Amino acid sequence: MKLPDWASFRTIRARLVGALALLVGGVATSALFGWLALRFQTGDIGLALEGLRESGSVNSALQSGILDEIAAAEAYLASPNPALRERFQSVGLETHGLRRQYRRLRRLTAEDRILVDSIATLQAALEVHYSVAHALLDLGRGGEARDEAVDARRHANRITVAIRSLSDRETNRASAEADVLARSASKRQAILLAVLATSTIVGIVLAVLTLRAVESPLGKLMRAAERLGQGDLRAVEPGQMATEFALLADAFGAMAQRLGGIVKEVVDESERIAGSAGDLSAISEELAASSGEISTSMLEISGGADQQAAKLAEAGAAAAQLRTAAGDNAAAAERVAALGQEIRVVAGKHREDVQGALGALLDVRSVVQRSATEVNQLARSSEAIDEFVTLVKRIASQTNLLALNAAIEAARAGEHGRGFAVVAEEVRKLADESAAAAERVTETLEFIRRQVEQVTRTMEEGAGKVEGIESVSQSAARGLEDIVTAVAGVEDAARQVATAAAYNREAAVEIESIAQAVSGQASKHAVAAESVTAAAEQQSASTEEMAAAASEMLAAAERLRKAVSGFRL
Amino acid sequence: MRLRSLRPYHYPALNSGGPIALQPRPIASRPGRLTAATVFVAATLLLGACRGGGDTIVVGLSGPFSEARGRSMLLAARLAVSEINAAGGVRGRQLVLEVEDDSASNARAIATALKLRDDPNVVAVVGHLTSGTTIAAADIYNSGANPVVELSPSASSPDLTGIGRFTFRVCATDLVHGTALARFAFQRLGARTAAVIYQNDEYGRGIFGTFGEEFRRLGGTIEEADPVLAGGAEVGPYLERIQRAARAQVLMLATDRTTGAVILRQARQRGIGLPVMGGDALAGIQGEGAVAEGVYYSSNYLPDRPGEKNAGFLRAYSAANNGEQPDHRGAGAYDAVHLIADAIHDAGTSRAAIRDALAAVGTSRAAYDGVTGRIAFDRRGDVTDKTVVIGVVRAGRIVPAETP
Repeated sequence: MKLPDWASFRTIRARLVGALALLVGGVATSALFGWLALRFQTGDIGLALEGLRESGSVNSALQSGILDEIAAAEAYLASPNPALRERFQSVGLETHGLRRQYRRLRRLTAEDRILVDSIATLQAALEVHYSVAHALLDLGRGGEARDEAVDARRHANRITVAIRSLSDRETNRASAEADVLARSASKRQAILLAVLATSTIVGIVLAVLTLRAVESPLGKLMRAAERLGQGDLRAVEPGQMATEFALLADAFGAMAQRLGGIVKEVVDESERIAGSAGDLSAISEELAASSGEISTSMLEISGGADQQAAKLAEAGAAAAQLRTAAGDNAAAAERVAALGQEIRVVAGKHREDVQGALGALLDVRSVVQRSATEVNQLARSSEAIDEFVTLVKRIASQTNLLALNAAIEAARAGEHGRGFAVVAEEVRKLADESAAAAERVTETLEFIRRQVEQVTRTMEEGAGKVEGIESVSQSAARGLEDIVTAVAGVEDAARQVATAAAYNREAAVEIESIAQAVSGQASKHAVAAESVTAAAEQQSASTEEMAAAASEMLAAAERLRKAVSGFRL
Repeated sequence: MRLRSLRPYHYPALNSGGPIALQPRPIASRPGRLTAATVFVAATLLLGACRGGGDTIVVGLSGPFSEARGRSMLLAARLAVSEINAAGGVRGRQLVLEVEDDSASNARAIATALKLRDDPNVVAVVGHLTSGTTIAAADIYNSGANPVVELSPSASSPDLTGIGRFTFRVCATDLVHGTALARFAFQRLGARTAAVIYQNDEYGRGIFGTFGEEFRRLGGTIEEADPVLAGGAEVGPYLERIQRAARAQVLMLATDRTTGAVILRQARQRGIGLPVMGGDALAGIQGEGAVAEGVYYSSNYLPDRPGEKNAGFLRAYSAANNGEQPDHRGAGAYDAVHLIADAIHDAGTSRAAIRDALAAVGTSRAAYDGVTGRIAFDRRGDVTDKTVVIGVVRAGRIVPAETP
């Protein structure tokens, strides 16, 4: 498992931080230790001094208390005064209190305690001896009291010895304390020095290591950088070094590698460009040439097209005229056809009329012959009528006379004859009218007779004329027939003409539209040809520019190739 | 973690004394501190077991067992241990006493304390009996790399108060004794003058001091105060002077039992009929015969103290010891052993944990209802509110003297 960088001290940072931390820690430890040492030393000294002072003061109080006690006891023995006994007792109790106090002091050894305890026992015995001595003295037994006092004094001596021994112990302890303090001080000093020395050594070692760790890779990297500056892009083998430098070297290597790649690419690319630029130059020259040709061709095309357009426009106009003419032709032909048909119809009718007339004429001839006969008969019948008219006239004259007689008779009949008189008047008028009618018939007969005579003559003349008319009409009929036939031919021709004209017209229309289309196309062609020409000209110009650029590029590619040839890959 | 709930806490009957109606102590709620301490101590316990402590837990017991006054303390402590072990021990381990005789000598007590303190198997010490030895040994128990609890059944000197974090006592101080005695003398006996013969040691001076102070405060006069050494050999002149002066109305013997008996005998021989009284150190003087009749002494404990627990203790004690009766030292030692067993039970066998558990009795732990009464520790290792009774010797037995 790979340790993280900070843990394995592979980075300069970690080393520096570690070194600094160690140094700071060492210094801080030294400082702290020094401070603590001083503090503890002070504390220890203070405690020792305090203990010594305390035990000294208690000890001396104890000693003086016991001496006081002895003094009071002795004084009572010399002059029995209850106050002295009181004092002896109270001082004694105080001294016991002091001893208890002393025993509670710290740092007393078991031996100390036993010694103190033996002092207590001695003091108790001393007190008892003195007390008994006092009691004996009080009881007037002086001798015994003195004996007791001797015992008491013996105890006092022993107490003195014990207290001296305690004092010696105190002194010994004080010097022991001092020794301990001195030892602990020198020990602390030694530890402090050791810590400081360790810190210093660690610092120096780390500084040297760090310097070495920095210098060697830095030199390598510098050389690599110089090489890189000289264009040597070959890989650099950095070797073992701190992580930062390894990273830097890696970065250097990566940079050189990438730079090498780029340079290589540039060389390749410039060669390729040079090739391409050569090609391009050639092509552009060709292109220039061909575009010139195109230009020329297009100019020609443009001219031809214009002409074509004009001619086509003319053709179109002609076709239009042709179309119009064809249309007119067709109309005329149609009209001819219609006329022919009309003629044919009329001629047919005429021919029928002529035939009819001819028939009528034949009828007329027979009718005239028959009429002549009949008119002759009529002429003879008119004579019968003459006779009948003479009769009618006589009847009319008779009737009139009768009516006149009837009127005279009616007038004589008076009133009763009035009605008859009216009838008689009416009959007379009728007789008058019959007489007038008979007169007009006689006149009409006269006229008819003359007419018949005229008709007979006309008839006779007509019969002669009919014969002439007959022959004429026969020839007319024949002529009409010929006309009909001819008209039918005309009609056919006209129809043919119309068909042809329609065809012509269609053809003309087609021609016209084609001509127009062609003309438009031709115009367009012309325009296109012009733009092509312009484009071709432009292209030509561009091509020239391109050719120039290509040659420039060629030059640039060459320069580039020269430039990158400085790098060593 | 309530270890206590895992094991019923009762005492089986010993011998044929009938069922001992000792009620289990109520389970007091314990603060987390102790629980944490228990866990810690459980670990320590395991270490201890590995170390070779094995199946036993060693408790030191130190007093003047070569002397008569030490007898009850030793017997009662053994009784307590056998009861506890019969009930399954503490934390499944048997309690063992390491008995050290200090001969009531301060020097011996110091040596004993050193031995016990430096024995890693000893988890606590019940001792010492006298104020002098307890004070002298306190300096040892409270010092060193691994201080150990010193729990005295009977050391009553005021100088013991606050002497060290590891020092405790189950009895009242001489302040209580001396004061109670002074009041008794002044109020009950009607004495206005007193003669004091005191043993010239920590105890004697202590009880004399508190007695004298209270007696004077009440308006009495200390006619004379005479020091004697243990044994009381030199008491004659004092008694003669007292007799001749004839001003004292009460004779206060601030001595131990033996010395007191000597003085008492001499006084009676001289015809001094003054009422005689003394501190709890006189306990047992009733065994001195007729001369002790009418002697008053103060005590933390009288055998006829009421209460089921004391009755059971009395029965067991007398059954185990040919009808003997325990004194206040025995009762104190009995309570002391139980207190330490409880502390171990709750806190484990670490000395510091035992000390903390003991200090918490009556505060964060429940007060202990012992045969000597309710025990709760103040911050200076003294029992709080501990009263003393004044007993009087009647027909060779000590009985309460509250009714004069």
